[in-house]
Amino acid sequence: MILKNKVFKKGSIVLLILLMLTSMVVGCSKTATNEDATVADTLELKETTDAEEPVIIRLTGGDYGYPTPFQHYPRGPGGYKMQLVFDSLLERDENGLIPWMAKEWEISEDGLEYTFTIHEDIQWQDGKPLTMEDIQFSFEYFEKHPPVWNPVTMDGKAFVEKIEIIDKDKIRFTISEKNVTILEKIGDVRMIPKHIWEAIEDPDAFQGEEAVIGCGPYLLTNYNKEHGTYEFTAFENYWGSKPVVEKIQFVPASDEVLAFENNEVDLASIGSDLLARYQGDSRFKIIQNPGFWGYRLLFNMEKKSIFKEKEVRQAIAYGIDQEELVEKVERGAAIVASAGYLPKDHIWYNDGVKKYPFDVEAAKERIGDRKITFQLLTGNSNTEVRIAELIKISLKEVGIDVDIKSVDTKTRDHAINTKDYEVALTGHGGWGSDADILRERYATTVQAGSSPSSNIIPGYENEEIKALAQQQLGETNVEKRKKIIFQLQEIIAEEVSFLPLYNTTGYTVYQPSKYDDWMYMYDHHTVSHSKLSYLQRK
Amino acid sequence: MKKIIQRILEFSLVGKIALIVIGFFIVLAIFSSQLSHYPYDLPSGAALQPPSREHWMGTDDLGIDIWAQLCYGARVSIMVGFTTAFLSVAGGGLVGVCAGYYGGKIDGWMMRLTDLMMIIPQLPMMIVLGAFFGPSLKNIIFVLTLFSWTAPARIVRSKVLSIKEEKYILVAKSYGAGFFYMIQKHFLPQTFSLMMVSFIQLISRAIVAEAGLSFLGLGDPTSKSWGLMLNHGMAFRGIYFTDFWKWWILFPLVCILTMVLAVSFVGKEIERKEVSSYGKTTTKG
Amino acid sequence: MFFMIQERFIKIRSYIITFLCIITLNFFIPRLMPGDPFTFLSAEEGQIHTTFSYEDIQRYKSYYGLEQSLGRQYINYINNLFRGNLGYSIAYKEEVVTIIKNRMVWTLSLVVAAIFFSSLIGVILGSLSAYKRNTFLDKILYFDLIVLSEIPAFLIALLLLFFFSAHLKLFPLSGGISHFTAFTSFGEKAYDVLHHGTLPLLALILTRTGTFYLLTRNSMIHILEKDYMRTARGKGLKKGRILFLHGLKNAIPPVVTRIFLSLGSILGGAVLVENVFRYPGVGSLMREAVFLRDYPLIQGIFLIMTLLVIVMNYIAEILYKKMDPRVS
Repeated sequence: MILKNKVFKKGSIVLLILLMLTSMVVGCSKTATNEDATVADTLELKETTDAEEPVIIRLTGGDYGYPTPFQHYPRGPGGYKMQLVFDSLLERDENGLIPWMAKEWEISEDGLEYTFTIHEDIQWQDGKPLTMEDIQFSFEYFEKHPPVWNPVTMDGKAFVEKIEIIDKDKIRFTISEKNVTILEKIGDVRMIPKHIWEAIEDPDAFQGEEAVIGCGPYLLTNYNKEHGTYEFTAFENYWGSKPVVEKIQFVPASDEVLAFENNEVDLASIGSDLLARYQGDSRFKIIQNPGFWGYRLLFNMEKKSIFKEKEVRQAIAYGIDQEELVEKVERGAAIVASAGYLPKDHIWYNDGVKKYPFDVEAAKERIGDRKITFQLLTGNSNTEVRIAELIKISLKEVGIDVDIKSVDTKTRDHAINTKDYEVALTGHGGWGSDADILRERYATTVQAGSSPSSNIIPGYENEEIKALAQQQLGETNVEKRKKIIFQLQEIIAEEVSFLPLYNTTGYTVYQPSKYDDWMYMYDHHTVSHSKLSYLQRK
Repeated sequence: MKKIIQRILEFSLVGKIALIVIGFFIVLAIFSSQLSHYPYDLPSGAALQPPSREHWMGTDDLGIDIWAQLCYGARVSIMVGFTTAFLSVAGGGLVGVCAGYYGGKIDGWMMRLTDLMMIIPQLPMMIVLGAFFGPSLKNIIFVLTLFSWTAPARIVRSKVLSIKEEKYILVAKSYGAGFFYMIQKHFLPQTFSLMMVSFIQLISRAIVAEAGLSFLGLGDPTSKSWGLMLNHGMAFRGIYFTDFWKWWILFPLVCILTMVLAVSFVGKEIERKEVSSYGKTTTKG
Repeated sequence: MFFMIQERFIKIRSYIITFLCIITLNFFIPRLMPGDPFTFLSAEEGQIHTTFSYEDIQRYKSYYGLEQSLGRQYINYINNLFRGNLGYSIAYKEEVVTIIKNRMVWTLSLVVAAIFFSSLIGVILGSLSAYKRNTFLDKILYFDLIVLSEIPAFLIALLLLFFFSAHLKLFPLSGGISHFTAFTSFGEKAYDVLHHGTLPLLALILTRTGTFYLLTRNSMIHILEKDYMRTARGKGLKKGRILFLHGLKNAIPPVVTRIFLSLGSILGGAVLVENVFRYPGVGSLMREAVFLRDYPLIQGIFLIMTLLVIVMNYIAEILYKKMDPRVS
């Protein structure tokens, strides 16, 4: 018995040690939040950035594919890595499109001819000069072999009809139909050297050093697939703005904030609960990301015809407490989405659209004596499950029963594609892109499998939205087009054919003493993705 | 019943404590709705409140009482553990008896099947199957069972093989006793304690496996098991730099660990008795 | 002699059947999961993705040969397999063989080292414990090792990560090696790799030692009680000699067998631990491959893992026969 007692004592000692271990971590986090001294200790700071010393930026890595237009992965930021190496005719800054390889351009009266004047002395990274043939070749090659990010087609069809080389620095594109989004699309096409790619039959499998020769500001100097590391080094003969950052290195991090604290990466995205840790400390700068990433709720009107009734959709919009979602799921780091789709940070956001604040009465009134129940399909990420749970709770108040079904992302996407759902929750980026996104989200047709193409919102047809969406596409006058877009948003908000929930904002923290020139592109939510962040600005 | 109490009294102190812990969690699971006056699935306060008199284990990010969730989670986790263990022992036991009793081809094929199951790398296969069947509690139990029945099957088979040749069995057989009669009268009582050991080992394995699958994002996100609570907490961005983990992560963590340890100690306790009373048939080598 | 050859043939045949079953399962299950590798409609929070048009998806499908019927694809797969071609990863755009080769090195060295250390420590502690049975030392070891072996590997890994890496900063936070540093010597590089590998390894060792410890302890106790051991003791042989010469010789065969048999489960543990440390092994890859429906890669990883386990099982069986006099 004595022995057994000892065993028990030993057991409690082990448990005690476990507890001690955990309490030490408690202690650690306590000191860290209460005393700034700890933070100061953990971060070795450079006193002053020496002008002579080359700037090396370290960012959170991960494997997103070999950065060629064909080899980077469709998921994740691999495309932005590719864009460091491959330049395009136009570029984006905080306010919109800016001249890049093309120093100026002209659009003909009828809106069908685009003539670009290209900078002289542009050099490929292997030393060969860039010619107009290279530009023409890039377009033609991408039409034949669509790259992963594919700007040369619209709705599955190539839109450039003819490419003519007018002069040694002038090139003209003729398109078949007047379309306001063409400039952006042409401007987005990456240039690839003809002398390398013309011999390549299967670009999807083309690797090797030659595959990453572009005319952009950075050379790929290191890539490791299994570790997920990249190193980009400034190209010294770059034709345009000088790269300020000498090397951009992507390294793996198990936890971004931990890595930032340990000075392993120079930029971290943080939630609002960590704001206090860095706020008011002059060594850190916090920026809030624009809300161009968001969640929305899709209604399958084909499968559940009750959603064809506008009142029902509006009732659901009133019955979901979006403020609460933002407050609880995102801890305040988000903004309630506009029912007119274009988010508050969008350059053409219409503040006058109908809003759907949480209103039990308004919801009940619209439901009347209808009995509504539906299955809500979500992905299995924690955020999505949390959103679904809150939706279930708040809709219960207005008398709608929700049954949550949570599956993995691919299964959910597949269900959406095959219209095998009643209501689905989905999240994605790109909410900041050109207002033509309204046409793409509400008024295009899609095809899945062998079934004939139908409206992208299953079971939904609205002639007015369709007509306006088509009209804005041909409207070259910016003010007039903006008016149409505003009108479109109002109709969309009234109709709520799907329900935008909220747009995440999130915060990014960095040390300005190390590097301070971060910049958001006008339509994107991540600073490290914009090429101009690393280049000298005028 | 008397025998069981007798057995329990023979447990070491650790074993007794472990038994009390298990009992405690079972009570928690059964009376979960009575034990907490807050609902487990509805917010009952502000989000992420530290433990207080109102919510004595605090609240999570939605403002749901943690204590209420823990009580309910006990039900889910224990159910996963017990159901998986029960199904595997029952199924595996039956396979084992059949294989041992009939021998020959049936035995050969059944043993080949257990070989197959033992060779398949379990966790990767669980990942694939988890994604294949979709994440619901039922499917998780199914997948876990699929990988757990082999051990009891093998143990039971070897035991049946060893007693099959005993005289009284042969006699019973010659009187024309049927398969089910034999199971009921002879095999079941003889293999019962072995199955019990298996059963208990499988419980803790299933609870841990469920937590592991939740950690990999393959659990049933709506089930509210302990593993899932833990997963929610750990997925909260930057939680280690905030105070929230002290109640949101620590409590479910402690629950999982104590439950698993308690179960495993009870298992060891029973196993020890078996080894000494049944002698050497159970330990190989 | 002839009989033995025949027996071995039967054994090998049954392994081949098992293997065929597995590659068949392994071919159909991933393909029957809902979803395909090219549909991206949503992204993780804050992440971006490309949504392919219907035409693009059709083009990719025919590029990777996925538009054919399942039966056709299966025949192609088996054909390629016998030519040693595991296919081309859809999600990672690389030969599956290359991907696995580059990653397997990391996982295998982790797993092998973990098995080596955990069995070594397990055997030493186990025999010590058996020899000092019912003493205080025995009880402590027994209790602690059971506790450790019951805690899920990923929890231990997380604890180690936060305590040793984040708090004490003794070890790196993640990865398998320091990046973008020029190593001056081989020694320096080796040190760096070891430095990164310590915590994942420790997590695996801590969770695995218990199994070997219990096994050794049980069989040692069993053997120490045997008559000839009593005789040996009675003859007054030195204690140490009894323990190690007689006891170990008999206690080790099951341990060795277990070493080879435990490969499958330790690979599973490695999956979880690698996910915590972002270790560049196959473990984290496996999970990704399933999430992305990268059929060739799922099949490839599975195939290699199964082959490894089968080979290990086979070795275990042979060794067991060689070492244990009673079997033959």
